[in-house]
Amino acid sequence: VLLRIVKNSIRRRPRPLLLVLLSVIMGSSVATAFLGINGDLSRRMSLELRSYGANILVEPIAADQGGLLNAADLPRIKSIFWRHNITGFAPYLFGVADLAAGTKKERGVVTGTWFGRELAVEGEETTIQGVRVIAPWWEIAGRWPETPDEAIVGATLAARLGIGAGAELTATALQESRRFRVVGVVTTGGYEEEQVFAPLATVQSLLRTEGKVSRVLVSALTVPADDFGRKDPATMGRDEYEKWYCTAYVTSVAKNLEEVMAGSRAKPVWQIASAEGGLLRKLNGLMLLLTVLALGASATAVSSSLMASMAQRCPEIALMKAVGADRLQIIAIFMGEILILSAVGGVLGYLVGDRLTLIISRMVFDATIISPFWLFPTAILAALAVAVAGSVVPVRRALAIEPVRVLRG
Amino acid sequence: MFRRRWMLTLVLRALVYRRGRTVLLLAVLAMASSLVAALGIVSDSMGRRVAEEIGKYGANLVVMPPDARIEVGSGGLNFGAIREPSYLDQQRVTDALTGSGLRAERSLHLRGLLHWRDADIMAEGVNFPEIRRLFPWWQLRGAWPQAGEALVGVDLAARFGLQPGDLLELAGASRHLRTRVSGIVTSGGEEDALLFLELPELQTALGLENRVSLVRLLVTVGRDRPSDAAAALQPLLTGATVREVRQVARTSENLLAKVKLLMSLVTAVVLVCAGSSVAGTMSTTVLERGREIGLMKAMGAGRWEVLLIFFGESLLLGVSGGVAGYLAGIGIAQFVTRTIFAAPAGVIPVFAVASVGVSVMIAIMGSVGPMMAVFRLDPVISLRGE
Repeated sequence: VLLRIVKNSIRRRPRPLLLVLLSVIMGSSVATAFLGINGDLSRRMSLELRSYGANILVEPIAADQGGLLNAADLPRIKSIFWRHNITGFAPYLFGVADLAAGTKKERGVVTGTWFGRELAVEGEETTIQGVRVIAPWWEIAGRWPETPDEAIVGATLAARLGIGAGAELTATALQESRRFRVVGVVTTGGYEEEQVFAPLATVQSLLRTEGKVSRVLVSALTVPADDFGRKDPATMGRDEYEKWYCTAYVTSVAKNLEEVMAGSRAKPVWQIASAEGGLLRKLNGLMLLLTVLALGASATAVSSSLMASMAQRCPEIALMKAVGADRLQIIAIFMGEILILSAVGGVLGYLVGDRLTLIISRMVFDATIISPFWLFPTAILAALAVAVAGSVVPVRRALAIEPVRVLRG
Repeated sequence: MFRRRWMLTLVLRALVYRRGRTVLLLAVLAMASSLVAALGIVSDSMGRRVAEEIGKYGANLVVMPPDARIEVGSGGLNFGAIREPSYLDQQRVTDALTGSGLRAERSLHLRGLLHWRDADIMAEGVNFPEIRRLFPWWQLRGAWPQAGEALVGVDLAARFGLQPGDLLELAGASRHLRTRVSGIVTSGGEEDALLFLELPELQTALGLENRVSLVRLLVTVGRDRPSDAAAALQPLLTGATVREVRQVARTSENLLAKVKLLMSLVTAVVLVCAGSSVAGTMSTTVLERGREIGLMKAMGAGRWEVLLIFFGESLLLGVSGGVAGYLAGIGIAQFVTRTIFAAPAGVIPVFAVASVGVSVMIAIMGSVGPMMAVFRLDPVISLRGE
């Protein structure tokens, strides 16, 4: 009998119940969308901040005496403990050379680097590494070099030499000499504009430093430095050191890199690393507070619409009481209705919220944020909890109804 | 006249009589409009705060002599001076910057070699208060310099075994210089290999009075675009080039745009959901009043009068809910910005209008809309009780 009453009540009075259902759907979709975005937001944001450029510089210990690093160690960067936090790296080899283009001559810096090179490391996915990954702000007029004899030239150097894309450039260092075809001009506003960039292997043979690099710039996802992260690892005890090593502070990732690159020291680039920490902390805090706000708002909206729909049904309850329904039965009828509504609303709301997460993440981050799986039961449970909480007051009011007064009209 | 007063009484009495319902509706309307106010204020002040935070990435414009070279890379990579250094006229540059009306943080830099114990040290003359604003990432061991003191980069300090408190006797091109090391600076950049002195001291030591090699500018992103500011400054600074530091400038613009987009999407989602849910609640309470409307009609009230009564009711509810919501919204926004950015949010009057407007709109949409359906009811049917 109870079931039939609930069923009929839903079928006969679709409109008010539909409104309640709507607000349950809205509430749980907002909750799903927010929790879904929030879960992945800090990772997305830190990936976003990586476009400010590398935050760790690896250079030879004896940089002053012209020490160099081994290029053979480079793939090991993707095999360190924090390998999944390394979003990209690029090796550089610098050397001074006499540049000649047409009739103009100039002494300048030739830099060998990887532009975008596939790197296969055993047991890891093949990744693309190089300047294109870690320095997205480079503006190239022309295209990136593809073959060993192609090069790009910094804008101010190109202006002085009077060359552009398509020109020929000869670089002479010591006894060696190489001809490059200029395929692009690069604008950065930084020291890159004074250099010629060519593939690493070519520059290594030009400078006769086969298998060597001058420095490596590494872009790594890190956690903001807290008080513990700022401590000097040299003064730490064994346990503390382990904890420090296993937290992705920029300093501990740098330490990790130092260990795989022979004869190197790794320095955090504080310009990038310190600003990033502060920004991330604030954005995460903001999103968390907004989530709480949105959850609170959707809970109030759902419970208020429940209250409104309950208040409407005084005569019905009075009639039930008059024909002899006891308290338990009334509670069962109402709760049954609410549970069905909120279960349906929770499922639909989850689906809508999932879409919303997708749309927002596509628009903002150009990436797909997959809502974690635990969100599904959470969304439904949350919808149930909010609906039940919101119906406590109206059900108690319903129980307090005196049939005589209401039915009199 | 009488009729109008009667109607007002009816509206007020209806609100007072159904106190519970009125409070409920006020609460939900206030909630929706407080969301409008809070989200609006937070996203507005957030734009500025995030821009400030992004400013910690440092200068986004550089002013330098047209034929100067930017030093290659940082730390240890010194290829020697490939050409004669060139300088800017300090007075002319600062005058031009003041005259341009551009609001930007700036720092002046002069580079030059000083001789110390058979070695050449690359020294940079700066103004330390400017440095503290434009280079917030410097990590300092020791203290910021007083007059006659200097900072040493960590690599340089390691090379010569310098400690805070050490005295340096430096020989410049035109004059000797005595200074005390007050602190050691670590930045992970080219600063690690430099010696930092007060700008006037280095200028006299090098005999380069009123000369600087570089001026760094930080234009607040979000108010001005760095590239536009560079284009506006260039004609004022003859004999210098203004460049945009793309690493900082472009990335900051993109980041700020993304944060703003995220914020506005989130605001839109929350508002649509809360708004429709509230409008639903309103319409439930109107639907239950079919009987009342039937009675009014039966007593000879015209469609307009009934509509006016309900319209008045929802207007009253909407306005008071909106005002309450605005006040609550200011409170929430203050809390959020204080917790995250440790700065008070500005009180922006525009959002008072917006939150009252949204509240009134929801109230009217939620009550007048469904009433159209109620109108179609025959009073006989609605009075009969179903």
